[in-house]
Amino acid sequence: MAQKIKIIAATGCPTGIAHTFMAEEALKKAAEKLGVEIKVETHGQVGVQNPLTKEDIRKADGVIIAADKDINADRFVGKPTVDVPVSKAIKDAEELIKMIIEGKARPYRIKNIQNKSMETEDLTKGSGLGRQIYKHLMNGVSHMLPFVVGGGILIASSFLFGIHSADPNHESYNRFAELLNKTGGLGFQLMVPILAAFIAESMAKRPGMVVGFIGGMIAFTGGAGFLGGIAAGFLGGGIIFLLQKIFSGLPKSLDGLKAIFLYPVLGIFLMGLIMFPLVEPMTTINEAMKSFLSDFQGSNPILLGFIVGSMCAFDMGGPVNKAAYVTGTALLAEGNYYFMAGVSAACITPPLIIAFATVFFRKYFNQSEQNAGLVNFILGSTHITEGAIPFAAKDPLVVIPILMLGSSVSAILTYLMKVQVPAPHGGFLVLPVVNGAFQWVFAILIGSLIGAFIYGIYRKRTYQE
Amino acid sequence: MILNEYLKEEWILLNQSLKNQEEVFYKIAETAVTNEIATNINEVVEGLKRREEEGTTGFLEGFAIPHTQNEAILRPAIIIIQNKKGIEWNSLDGIPSQFFISLLIPKKEAGTTHLTLLSSLSRMLMHEDIREKLKNAGRSKEIINVLQHLNH
Repeated sequence: MAQKIKIIAATGCPTGIAHTFMAEEALKKAAEKLGVEIKVETHGQVGVQNPLTKEDIRKADGVIIAADKDINADRFVGKPTVDVPVSKAIKDAEELIKMIIEGKARPYRIKNIQNKSMETEDLTKGSGLGRQIYKHLMNGVSHMLPFVVGGGILIASSFLFGIHSADPNHESYNRFAELLNKTGGLGFQLMVPILAAFIAESMAKRPGMVVGFIGGMIAFTGGAGFLGGIAAGFLGGGIIFLLQKIFSGLPKSLDGLKAIFLYPVLGIFLMGLIMFPLVEPMTTINEAMKSFLSDFQGSNPILLGFIVGSMCAFDMGGPVNKAAYVTGTALLAEGNYYFMAGVSAACITPPLIIAFATVFFRKYFNQSEQNAGLVNFILGSTHITEGAIPFAAKDPLVVIPILMLGSSVSAILTYLMKVQVPAPHGGFLVLPVVNGAFQWVFAILIGSLIGAFIYGIYRKRTYQE
Repeated sequence: MILNEYLKEEWILLNQSLKNQEEVFYKIAETAVTNEIATNINEVVEGLKRREEEGTTGFLEGFAIPHTQNEAILRPAIIIIQNKKGIEWNSLDGIPSQFFISLLIPKKEAGTTHLTLLSSLSRMLMHEDIREKLKNAGRSKEIINVLQHLNH
């Protein structure tokens, strides 16, 4: 009698409570009925159970992947594999096993990443370009978040020693504060490259990550801010897709060469070729925005507040936001404390908008967003605008205008009430030296609450769809 | 022993006349709150809806396992509803759902006992004979007996 066919399987559903095990049971039943051996590895909430050993994989005649989550399928490269959503295994386990018995399963290759993720999406829900883009953005943002939170809190903590305490030449200098500030600062420097890297990684795995990372660094060092980072991320994924297409005809034996040499070298080269020219105009834009703004210096507070507010919230870390901030600090040095007051208000508002929204509309934010939202109270209060970036990056077309609106309201009110802020940074930590502190906080709160309300309603609407 | 911690007779509702998914979710949530399994009806309903959106919980022959892990839930519990008529549930095999085994899990799980129990329950439901017995059960006690298998 011939040896029984050996099949291995891995099941996994996102919640990890029921479908994972139902698929396991269905496959086991079907295997018994059809007279084949099967070992099923499950990915449930308790963790990975019954893990497949290298020996199991080596001896297997076929693999069934029944998962709606990552079950580390790279292990199965080359093995005849049937790759389906977990619900398919629950419903048609016998059909899947028959495919392997009859030799209809094709060898598993990583090449099909893009196609597979689109297939899974199609089978579970209606797919569409919008969902794809969102998925890639989300991957970038979720990796970036810890850098923003960790970095931001450290920087804010350093301000407790004095807003200039990290500066060796200042009288309030403190070595520990400098340590906090520098370490936190590194988190911020990595923010945009990480965002770009993992947008690209979602699209094209590791080769994408490499190219996206470089693109993000170019965006960051070139002053393009997080918007530049987003562009670099999608560009990185696109470059790898292009290279994959170009080299798709190469023999399989060269797959290793592609991964270690062709994709990285050509990918990075193309990224540099495209990104460097793109960030060149950033300095020009920055200068243009500065001179634009200085034309409005003396004009009516409502118009100025609107412009300053919008500029500060538009592209945190980018040329426009920087132009407003630098103009503020320059005028500060000349003794104009009024202008800076509006700039500060506009920079404090975006994180507070996020923070209030996650508190009042808690239901429509997931756990990590709620946590990041709370952190934004601290970041906003210490003038660390970047706290809002992860939320803006997820949904730039909607969130940025909302932030611009909130910041404008804060800035307009600040200018109308003629608040004076003599410090370039620090947020509420410099309240003692603010002229019109109460009005300033009031203005900021109004702008933040308005923005939070609108953002919250938007999240509620999208949640209910 | 263990099963009795997660499933009590009063949590099994037979012969119900619910008309749609919303009503089923509401009934589950209401039962949960009345029996001090959860603190907030709306939160439980929202949680069940969210999970359903990720992918239908209706799998075979009229059985569905709506479930949620939620801050409003105080203790892990199984709530069972047997409905007179089938309800449209977008199930895997297209058959409307009539027998609902709802799994409610607290957000912060202190242990994994209940997870093991729930995974055993899910595996059991893949067996034709178990499903037959559950569908034809006339009294809550019968259902508990069928599910005693979980206590090994």
